Amino acid sequence: MDQKLEGKPSASLRLDGRKVTRSEITNHWGTRLQWKISRDGKEIAAVTAGPEPVFEHADAAPGKYEIVLQQFHYVGYAKDKDGKFTTSKYVDISEPVTYTV
Amino acid sequence: MLHIGNEYIPLCSGTNRRSFLQLGAAAMTGMTLANFYKLNAAGAVDEKKAKIRNCITLFLVGSPGQHDTWDMKPDAPEDVRGKFKPISTSVPGVQICEHFPRMAKVMDKVALIRSLHYNTGSSHENGQRWMMTGHDFNAANKQPFMGSVISRVFGPKGDLPASIVLPVGIGNTGTSTPHGQESAFLGSAHAPFFLGSDPARADFKVADLEPPKGQTEFRVEARRKLLTEIDEVQRQVETSSTLERDTAYARAFNLLTNPTTKKAFDLNEEPAKLRDRYGRNTFGQSCLMARRLIERGSRFVTVNQFDTVFGISCWDMHADGGSLNNTYADYEHVLCPQFDLAFTALLEDLQQRGLLEETVIAVISEFGRTPKLNARGGRDHYPSVWTNFLAGGPIRGGRVIGSSDKIGAAPHDRPVTPPQVVASIYQAMGIDLETTMLPGPGGRPIRFIEAEPIRELFS
Repeated sequence: MDQKLEGKPSASLRLDGRKVTRSEITNHWGTRLQWKISRDGKEIAAVTAGPEPVFEHADAAPGKYEIVLQQFHYVGYAKDKDGKFTTSKYVDISEPVTYTV
Repeated sequence: MLHIGNEYIPLCSGTNRRSFLQLGAAAMTGMTLANFYKLNAAGAVDEKKAKIRNCITLFLVGSPGQHDTWDMKPDAPEDVRGKFKPISTSVPGVQICEHFPRMAKVMDKVALIRSLHYNTGSSHENGQRWMMTGHDFNAANKQPFMGSVISRVFGPKGDLPASIVLPVGIGNTGTSTPHGQESAFLGSAHAPFFLGSDPARADFKVADLEPPKGQTEFRVEARRKLLTEIDEVQRQVETSSTLERDTAYARAFNLLTNPTTKKAFDLNEEPAKLRDRYGRNTFGQSCLMARRLIERGSRFVTVNQFDTVFGISCWDMHADGGSLNNTYADYEHVLCPQFDLAFTALLEDLQQRGLLEETVIAVISEFGRTPKLNARGGRDHYPSVWTNFLAGGPIRGGRVIGSSDKIGAAPHDRPVTPPQVVASIYQAMGIDLETTMLPGPGGRPIRFIEAEPIRELFS
């Protein structure tokens, strides 16, 4: 019996300077959470989002930053020849927040 | 002094010295063993005279690698230490995998056993039999599941079955040999109740708790009465198996018709926030249901994290590129996070409800995994050493029992065997293994298990 993750997780983000605080996650799938960080529209990092709700990205290079909380959506365990999941993937579970350095 | 049963502290509706003497007399007068069991089943648990505890067993089917979870070897060569890094925990000097950040904070409640091992084969079923029963055996000589033993010894507490398995029984894990979750010689009356469906699903229903399509509860009750009448006739030609079925039928009807027992399985009664805390997945919601069932009178609830190792994300990380293609990616993105969330939620939830002191949590698996990564970056079966752990009840947390060698290939000190873990669970639940015996095949009194509990867990 493979697990089927139903519903959609959701969290809201609050920005204070460069510090991002997430709310509790509703419909938490239990899978890994990560902060996806983009600068000027290009993804530059994906960092594990641990139990602590606060995150501050260390990179201070000039640009427009966007941060969004993602969770791994397990659909099936199939992987390609490089070992990457083919159907399971990270999905956004919050609206992004943005700031400029 | 060894007794057959426990005359002075009757733990249960089960067997004590006096009742075994009665059994001897009964046998001479032609009473069947099943009838004896049935008479005992009418007894009551005397919890005032003995501290009886519950147990929730989380069975990590597939088996996590010790190097990648709870016995990391950061100083070993790269092809041994693997991909993950250790983190510190609330217990000074004890480190676990970085993907268990919540568990790291509650290690003071957990007793790790890092020197578990056996040497009788390396199939999943070997390990399942060892860890579910404390014995290895074949289909012709089945030994009872821990939950069945508890059902036999303590009996039910209320209307729920004493032993329940969530969400489903173990299916295909490679060979067609027993998995160790059967009642064996204890009879069908002590077989665990298998939930049979996924409590995380929106359309979750307990199949056995729903009247068959087209039947009202009135009709079910009418059928029960009819069956009772048939049973009266049948008793004239009764055998032990029909008497065992009495209890099984009664239990099934009770589950089917009793609103209280049906509610015990209803997770919609739990706050959404708490359901989120456990994780909205099969394992997380099964752990939450385990707490509900223990709270409502079940004594031994087992959560099989998986029912197979084929074609799903599970701990069996062979990385074979086929139907056993679990890898570090499964551990990192799915398995470790889901375990970390659910296990710590269960600990916290039990503690907040005052249930942790009376509930043992046993996190067990079939074996460890090979010290050296295979050519595809996976790890294969390895029963020569691995880590499992206990918490709750009288278990002293914040300690590590035994250790493995530098590359996690063999016990370095204090080797521990599966029967010792099972013996420890029995002792933690309140069975005095020195003074109590179990009715074995044919009523012959036998020791629960041929092993001593791990004393360091209790001191």
